[in-house]
Amino acid sequence: MLQHGNDAGRPATTSRRRFLTAAAGTGAALASPALLTGCGTAQAKGGNLQFWNFYGPQRSPDPAINAQSKWFVDMVNAWNRTHKSQIDLVYLPQPTYLNGFKLPSAFATGEGPDIFLLSPGDFLRYYNGGVLADLTPHMDKAAIDDYGSALDSRKVDGKVYALPMEIEPLAMFYAQDVWEKAGLSEADIPTTWDQMLDIGDKLRTKTRAGLVFETQPGYYQNFTWYPWMWQGGGDVLDHQGKVVFDSPATRQALALWQDAVRHGIAPRVVPAADDVIGGFKGGNVAMWQQGIWNVSSFKAFAPKYRYGVFKLPVPSGGSYVTTLGGWSFCANAQGRNPEAAAEFCAWALGSMKDDSINRMVDWCVGAKSDVAPRASALERGAAKGGYDSEIMKKFKDEIFPGGRAEPRYPPVVYKAISDAIQGTMLAGRGVAGEAERAAQSIAAYTKSYKGASLI
Amino acid sequence: MSSVAAQQRRRAAAPAQAPASADTPGLSRKHREWLAAGLFLAPDVLGLLVFVAIPMVLSIALSFFQVSGFGSYQWIGLGNYQRMMHDPLFWDSMKITGEYVVILVPVLFCVSLGLGLLVKQKLPGVGVYRTALFLPYVISLVVVGVLWKFLLDDQTGAVNRAMRAAGFDGESWLGSPSLALGCVIAIMVWVMMGYYMIIFLAGLQEIPREFYEAAKLDGAGPWTTFRTITWPLLRPTSFFVLLMSTVAAISGGLDLIFVLTNGGPANGTSLAIFYIYQQAFGFGEFGYASAMGSFLVLIMVVISAVIFKLTSGGRFDDGE
Repeated sequence: MLQHGNDAGRPATTSRRRFLTAAAGTGAALASPALLTGCGTAQAKGGNLQFWNFYGPQRSPDPAINAQSKWFVDMVNAWNRTHKSQIDLVYLPQPTYLNGFKLPSAFATGEGPDIFLLSPGDFLRYYNGGVLADLTPHMDKAAIDDYGSALDSRKVDGKVYALPMEIEPLAMFYAQDVWEKAGLSEADIPTTWDQMLDIGDKLRTKTRAGLVFETQPGYYQNFTWYPWMWQGGGDVLDHQGKVVFDSPATRQALALWQDAVRHGIAPRVVPAADDVIGGFKGGNVAMWQQGIWNVSSFKAFAPKYRYGVFKLPVPSGGSYVTTLGGWSFCANAQGRNPEAAAEFCAWALGSMKDDSINRMVDWCVGAKSDVAPRASALERGAAKGGYDSEIMKKFKDEIFPGGRAEPRYPPVVYKAISDAIQGTMLAGRGVAGEAERAAQSIAAYTKSYKGASLI
Repeated sequence: MSSVAAQQRRRAAAPAQAPASADTPGLSRKHREWLAAGLFLAPDVLGLLVFVAIPMVLSIALSFFQVSGFGSYQWIGLGNYQRMMHDPLFWDSMKITGEYVVILVPVLFCVSLGLGLLVKQKLPGVGVYRTALFLPYVISLVVVGVLWKFLLDDQTGAVNRAMRAAGFDGESWLGSPSLALGCVIAIMVWVMMGYYMIIFLAGLQEIPREFYEAAKLDGAGPWTTFRTITWPLLRPTSFFVLLMSTVAAISGGLDLIFVLTNGGPANGTSLAIFYIYQQAFGFGEFGYASAMGSFLVLIMVVISAVIFKLTSGGRFDDGE
């Protein structure tokens, strides 16, 4: 018969159930850091360095894409022939690279690639996360000078953490046939916002957008909107880092996109499911704010198509600015061999040796159509005839010189600006209210922000 | 009285156990049955443990940390949950999710049931119709998204072309905040209706034909037959469809949103699951995303419990 207190004098043995519970708990406690962080860091793994990118190796019906893939493959093969540390190229399709979970998951679990491509919009997040290796020790001062201001948004405290492979300015592309059929000539190319809206209004039909601005929310939409704000003297942060987003220039830029959509001049959704070449060729677009990278796409897919480009028009009393985008090579400071990875980046793009400069020339005027970020490469590219065509010459001599690098704002700042653009452009909300709300949100964030300079 | 009954039960059980003990002295029949059941269940249990239970526990654990996305973890207790409570974008996304679920689930239910009833008929070529209706379900949501993006294009989309041909102005289906969510719902109904149609068809085929014959003899019309025979006897199937489609609506559709709208226009299609994904994989806020994810799971558990309660778990006998 069981009585109260009967087991009071039992020896302090552990029951099987209690033991199993305790063992499971201890095991979970011991394993949880490893489970939360992955099973170890890449540094402990050894093996070939991994270079994750969205260009190659791959095969595509698009000859431009094949050329870009070949450039990556040739570069890595050249390194592997002459260096002990071997590199494997790992191709991720661009949507996966940009919006997928593979890259963030890899870094979160300590399995990030040794070398990878980074856009300015992501620079601070990766820098503040401590995964960007300092490339400065592997570069000549002459090479850093050769890059000039192209490195500004990739530097922290004077040290270089990413090496741009290209500069991609934005301009307005237009359909020459549509232009001419409407009785317009080159003399009618708009230089002001009002002229641009008027011409867009004139050229639009039920099946053709007069003027196209990016409509989907994302880093890219912000990237395309910044120049309209900058042209009026507006900015997100001033030189002291103070939030100045809520300004007449910002409201004016928000109102420009809102008016264009409200009056039906610009569509609410980009035409042809965002297929630029298809949209132009199909006669569905008259003007589209786009980047230099489309020049090589036109060359590959529509070599006979007649199109032109012009500088982004400016507001009354404003001055010309465009955004300069472009991706960079980065080395993972927590990778298998950060020294070798950093050395590779500098060897590939940041050396004064001919191979390095010529490689950039091949990329910017051969595999792609871009402005070279290094003065020497730009010069050689021009000498090679890479900027001889009317369009590329215009990009190099007229559009690029007024450019400003894409800002490196972290996600909270990006999101606040994105919501203001979307809210005014597509939901018709008041520009003053949206600019004020975004400015407050950015100010609240910057008060508690810890990390490298936002500007 | 109860001890007599217990003795009777023991006596009744004894003959069944005795031979088993004789066959294998070390293991009774009962234990062998338990062992067999355990071995059969082990792969599933292991899979659920590794791929569902442990990740869920770790996700809950992660929600108490500030995670940099680069291997740094800082304990912040309920900080992520406090942030969630004051995040207007999260609550906007919950509101949009609520609208999405409240419209999608009933529409999907009715359409699937209607199609189930339709394809149960002995029509010529009914197999082809069943296959055609099920087909959208087997297509990747990414492909579905691209397809509908073209169909709903403002200038060149087939839908607007048809409208213009009929004398109407076209609409910006995916560019208008008031229409975009409706489009996503319509596309999800198109995708999922075939699957639930098959589930309903299976439920309908389980109903004995004699019931319908008896109703016909009694002079019952189609509506009376549906109301008094089909609908009550479909109760387990209806419960299953309701529960599964609700859970699918709350936790699914991410791929489609990515391709179609990326959460726009003006966050108009930013469902909670999309916002959580964006915070985790777009912004590296894994801890915060885990907190929101855990909250969403809690909501799903509550909704599932309510559905269980209201439908008695799909049983005919109200819990007996």
